[in-house]
Amino acid sequence: MHRFSATKMLLEHLGDRPVVANLGPSTDELWHSGDRDRNFYTYGSMGLCSSIALGMALSTDEQVISLDGDGSLLMNMGTIGTIGREVPSNLIVVVWDNEQWAQTGYQASHTAFGTDLEQVARGCGIEKTATVRDEEELLSVFHQALDEEGPWFIVAKIQEEEYLPVSPVEPEMTLYRFRKSFGD
Amino acid sequence: MNWAETITQSLKDNDVSLVAYVPDISIHQVTKILQDDPYFHVVSATREEEAIGIAAGAYAVGRNAAVFMQSSGFGNCINALASLCIPSRIPIPMFINMRGEVGEFNIAQVAMGRATRPILDVLGLPYYTLDTVDRLDQQVSGALQLCYASRQPLALCLTPMLHGGKIA
Repeated sequence: MHRFSATKMLLEHLGDRPVVANLGPSTDELWHSGDRDRNFYTYGSMGLCSSIALGMALSTDEQVISLDGDGSLLMNMGTIGTIGREVPSNLIVVVWDNEQWAQTGYQASHTAFGTDLEQVARGCGIEKTATVRDEEELLSVFHQALDEEGPWFIVAKIQEEEYLPVSPVEPEMTLYRFRKSFGD
Repeated sequence: MNWAETITQSLKDNDVSLVAYVPDISIHQVTKILQDDPYFHVVSATREEEAIGIAAGAYAVGRNAAVFMQSSGFGNCINALASLCIPSRIPIPMFINMRGEVGEFNIAQVAMGRATRPILDVLGLPYYTLDTVDRLDQQVSGALQLCYASRQPLALCLTPMLHGGKIA
């Protein structure tokens, strides 16, 4: 499974729901999949993607989707515990797990050596979890996540491919129009 | 009202209804009030940068959110401010209990306490020191108004002179 193709697939099925994307390729590929007001791109603050999504989920009734990465989440694993403690029923975390810090030179991450982020989530009390390896499995569990109360934690094992061009870096515009879409 | 009740009221007056925090014995005087008040959703974060991320997410969907932390923990969230809140224009009031000031007993708290305000300076973020209950409501409410008007994070530094100085 490749992240860009899988991102495009998810975007076709998630309607108007807000999406937060991890910095780097996850953000770039979300932009190339279809720029929209409810895409919250991140350009720094590595590790905080799912924390930002958690803050959103606690502050809106809408379902919020986080497109995180294994290397980033390893930097802020405590937030999985906070999700387990807060139990936001409207939060869906998808972790693109390529088992490496690809953008910095393909260094192997801990998930290549046995760290199982799905088990971490389960250990933090998150009951709705899955690890998927192809788009068919991902779409099936994603539809379940849209239909059943969460929080959901889905590890999507992916292979890296050639990067797309970097998306426009416009954090102020991203925040402004995202927030405006919530009526403020 | 005591100082903790004054801060609580100022948060309400400025529609701040989510608070993410990492515990501290002095700011506990405030967070224990917030936790008992259904107006607030109080989120216990594992680390200060996580608290900034949660508060940023709340603001992104239209809810004002503050962060409470200790000065040592401020050191844990600098990049979240620099690479998320500042470029995105996300206003987050940070209530920072200052360690390493008068009455400090722990040498390990001194350097980060002393570095906190200079770091805020080089980030270009304003801060106000809260060391007396005199006109505290004006100071806190005014700072919160400025924070949201400027759409930048801002720090309110709580000192032992304000809260009695029980440092632990």
